Amino acid sequence: MEQLILAEGCNVAEVTMCAPAEVSELFQFAAPWPELAAWFTRTQMLILLIPVIVIGLFWLALRNPKLVPGKLQMAVESAYSLVRNDIGKDVIGPGGEKYVPYLLSVFMFVLIGNFYEITPFVNFPVTSRIAIPGFLAVFTWIIFVVAAVRKQGLAYFGHLIWPPGVPIALKPLLGVIELVSTLLVRPFSLAVRLFANLVAGHLMLSLLLGTAGTFIWASLTNPEIGYGKGALGIAWFVMGLGIFMFEMLVAFLQAYIFTLLSAVYIQSSIHPDH
Amino acid sequence: MDLAAAEAIKGGLLVMGYGLAAVGPGIGIGIVVGNAIQAMARQPEAAGMVRTTMFLGIAFTEALALIGFVLFFLA
Repeated sequence: MEQLILAEGCNVAEVTMCAPAEVSELFQFAAPWPELAAWFTRTQMLILLIPVIVIGLFWLALRNPKLVPGKLQMAVESAYSLVRNDIGKDVIGPGGEKYVPYLLSVFMFVLIGNFYEITPFVNFPVTSRIAIPGFLAVFTWIIFVVAAVRKQGLAYFGHLIWPPGVPIALKPLLGVIELVSTLLVRPFSLAVRLFANLVAGHLMLSLLLGTAGTFIWASLTNPEIGYGKGALGIAWFVMGLGIFMFEMLVAFLQAYIFTLLSAVYIQSSIHPDH
Repeated sequence: MDLAAAEAIKGGLLVMGYGLAAVGPGIGIGIVVGNAIQAMARQPEAAGMVRTTMFLGIAFTEALALIGFVLFFLA
């Protein structure tokens, strides 16, 4: 899809890299069947596919659980144990079991959404649209504020504005810093971290691999463009492959970081003395 | 400087702005990972905990660089 966007606007003889006129063109898609609903774009279809994939994966892996697991069961169990033990229990501590369903849902959603970026015929990470990381961050925000209010009552906000255990001269300043940092910066940074990582990755992959394809194709089929552009296309392709491998790591890492930070925020709400 | 010339270098200024914004987190992540490597070398049995905390630190410092990257497109 992006190959078409890049190829049609690209003057291969002139430029070193094909780039669309407006970078957001690489991130927006028209609705394939406009008479169905204007919001039912490719992005929406991919989002609706994520729970189908997650439920299908877990069902396939765990419908006949064996004591000595096969490969799929092992993979799914290791993802579950990562979220439940290493993130849920170790980070949140006692009382963390309640939050594992939410953490597992967030982890699997972000993981599959990120993996769309490296899936062959899709190549569009769903989490690169700000609404999705935005709303996931809003859920984490609501959960950790409500957990804190349930645990400490409304004194939670009092402790944010007037932190205990701090010299009296610093209390106002530290209060403002802590209030802004806890209630505003946390969800904002959670969303933007995931969003910007994925936007950067998608942009680099689209430009590098799309340019490589366009250049190599033009160099082979168009007689007036010499083999120099073809060689440049191969160079972009090699760089694109390197970035592709890096994006595989980034996809998993960003899902892990989002879940880990959600757990850390929940832990700081329900165990404030740490 | 007239308006047309100012418009022409706007993109260059944006890129320079992002470049400046990436210096701090670059140094910061280097410090975090360097100290994590040292800690893992001094006490290998704590490597798991150190690694988890290292990823946490990287996420926090990288967020600043990424906010700069997003603002590059926003302006």
